[in-house]
Amino acid sequence: MNLHPIQKVKHGFLLPLSLIVVLTFLLTACGPAATTEPPAPTQVVTEEPPATQAPVVTEAPVATEEAKPLPPITILINESPWLPGFEALVNKYVAETGNQVNLNRTPFNGMLEKSRNAVQASESEFDILTLNEQWYMQFYGDGLVTPIKEIDPTFELDPQVIEYEWATRWDAELGYSSQNGELYGLPINGNIMLFFYRKDLFEEKGLAAPQTWADVEAAAQALKTDEMAGYVVRANPPNWEFQAFLASYGGNVIKLEEQTGEWEVTLNSPEALQALTTWLKLGRDYGPANYADNGQAEMIALMASGKVPQMVLVGASAPDFDNPEKSIVIGNVAAVPVPGSEVGKNATMSGIWVMGVPHNLPAERKEAALAFLKWSLTKDAQMFYAQSGAIPVRQDVYEEMANDPKLGWWMKAMADSTSYIHAQPRLTETPQIIEVLDRRLKQALINEITPEEALSEGAKEIFKILSDAGYKVKPLSE
Amino acid sequence: MKPTSASSPSSQVPLTSRLGNFIDRTFQYWTIAPLIITLLFLVAYPSVQLLRMSVSEVDIVKGKTVWEFVGLKHLETALQDPVVPVALKNTLIFVIAVVLIETALSLLISILVSRSKHLVGLYRTVMLIPLLIPPIAIGTMWRLMYDYNYGFINQVLDLIGIAGPTWTANPKLALPSIILVDLWHWTSFMFLIILAGLESLPLELNEAARVDGASEDQIFRFITLPLLRPTLITAVMLRTIFAFKVFDEIFLLTGGGPGTATEVVSLYIYKVFSGQFRLGYASFLALGLALIISVFVIFYRRLGQRAHA
Repeated sequence: MNLHPIQKVKHGFLLPLSLIVVLTFLLTACGPAATTEPPAPTQVVTEEPPATQAPVVTEAPVATEEAKPLPPITILINESPWLPGFEALVNKYVAETGNQVNLNRTPFNGMLEKSRNAVQASESEFDILTLNEQWYMQFYGDGLVTPIKEIDPTFELDPQVIEYEWATRWDAELGYSSQNGELYGLPINGNIMLFFYRKDLFEEKGLAAPQTWADVEAAAQALKTDEMAGYVVRANPPNWEFQAFLASYGGNVIKLEEQTGEWEVTLNSPEALQALTTWLKLGRDYGPANYADNGQAEMIALMASGKVPQMVLVGASAPDFDNPEKSIVIGNVAAVPVPGSEVGKNATMSGIWVMGVPHNLPAERKEAALAFLKWSLTKDAQMFYAQSGAIPVRQDVYEEMANDPKLGWWMKAMADSTSYIHAQPRLTETPQIIEVLDRRLKQALINEITPEEALSEGAKEIFKILSDAGYKVKPLSE
Repeated sequence: MKPTSASSPSSQVPLTSRLGNFIDRTFQYWTIAPLIITLLFLVAYPSVQLLRMSVSEVDIVKGKTVWEFVGLKHLETALQDPVVPVALKNTLIFVIAVVLIETALSLLISILVSRSKHLVGLYRTVMLIPLLIPPIAIGTMWRLMYDYNYGFINQVLDLIGIAGPTWTANPKLALPSIILVDLWHWTSFMFLIILAGLESLPLELNEAARVDGASEDQIFRFITLPLLRPTLITAVMLRTIFAFKVFDEIFLLTGGGPGTATEVVSLYIYKVFSGQFRLGYASFLALGLALIISVFVIFYRRLGQRAHA
């Protein structure tokens, strides 16, 4: 090929330029990803402390010569109503110990992705992961967080710390959270359901605090008007509230026979049908016109604006009813444990968060993470945590806080509910099971299928999920 | 003494000159090499990975990715999955509805704007606004507007004495409500493409037809529309591809509900992948969706080739 000298110059210029562009591109693509985390602060307080909170010391003390400061830790934490309380707790830890803590605040929807990415890296960017009840099982089951006793063989969990039907543990043999399982996570947020009702309206009608679903229906009948619904069910997503109804009737979605390790799908049981019928009746007959469209935020708004007199809600929503910026019913809302099918057959579902230490950390970072967790579960820290607007995880704290003039009205209900706590299925396949439940329950709620169909079809799907995953499952009863 | 290699004919040519000749001979390949490498890196590798994942179970154990070949197991799962046919049906209804309505609407608006002699710039700007708003903001905005208790739409209906429906909670209304949001969002995209096509058409033909006594309706049917056909096909093809991938609006407005009334394939893939962490099955579904879109693209391309012919 005979080229003009100028063309040759162009050739000589274009080729290396193209290669440089490609190399730059490849190097950029393969380089370390930029973190969205802001520069690590030495002090975590970024917001005004909650009104109920004791003043926080803002200067980090100089560590004593004996106590060597631990390496700084980074906690992945979800942005939630209890975050200010958690920030206050961390602040107190920093002030008391001189250890540094960075918070990576992340919306709920990004928590799972960030947690997964962290445990797949060669070394996790986070020292503590905050894991939701819906997905902690994958992290325990796949060994993505470190067993607590591997970090500190002498660690013993204080019996006052509530374990929420063993959400802290994992039995590798059963593939399930059970009492005999190994300790993998420590609870940090004790969200459970409570029953909230308008005590002023109940008193007006001479109604006592509901103890059974029949009481709830009677109150709904008495209080329903054109302006006010009698009850509202949580339809987005529906599984959580329904499971409380189900447990109160003595039913389960799945059941484990621990001796044989055999599972049974019991969603199609007569108890489940009773529970679903009650739930649907309360939702459809006494609910607002958009009864199939309410999630937690909408329900809180309905109660706070005086449009519904009673509902089952997560305990963490109680402060909203005392917030003058959100509520027109301040002082008129009371809380009791979630009612049951009969008196004493109450059931509340846990929807907690646990904290775990990623498997891919060097020993000193794991120890620093555990030091924070141990400290945060002490009674003093938990008292401070509760007063700062968060949801503690210790029974003695709930009992003591039951007398608090400001928070006692719902802390007492939390204390009284501990013995009724139930958990949703806790397997690594739980997200699949929950998807089936949500879909089938919603179809029943909007009359797309009958309650019987919802339960039997749901049971078949769950049976298939468990069978495909290799569990020993009893044949489905007709 | 044997002759040295330096004395052989080929080795008499200097090395730099030989290298220069080699570069000259293969120059065309070197120039496209960056493009090929980039394409391989960006397209081929992820596609192969997707294909590999779609025939595997993928799990993360102790931070390591564990692959297990499962062949066509995910196809069997998809055939037995009750959500898949519903999601496919909803996706097809959504795609057909939005593509047809948006094409008709944007064609009408484009013709009106192209014939307008005043405020053309303003019309264009106004039409562009929905396209500039991030989908996440659109979803949130419409969710608030559709709210049964506090939403703008029901408040307006209330003013004229009509009880507003539950837009996103009624299974019969949920998908139409989503389609309405999509029309608001994407009609401007079609409008821009079609308007550009209309404005690039030669005016001489229209004038000649008018001289020959053709009515405006005849000019549109027999001159404008046939000339606009390639543009329309491109616009419809792009819109079909985007519509198949609808996600944000449904995720924010209904989450696929109530029940399965607005469940679409892309949203279901997200749920399977992110919520249930079934990487293999999600990849299989994603591959299936890509194949369906490809069929439509091939169909439109054939149509386009015929239009050009």
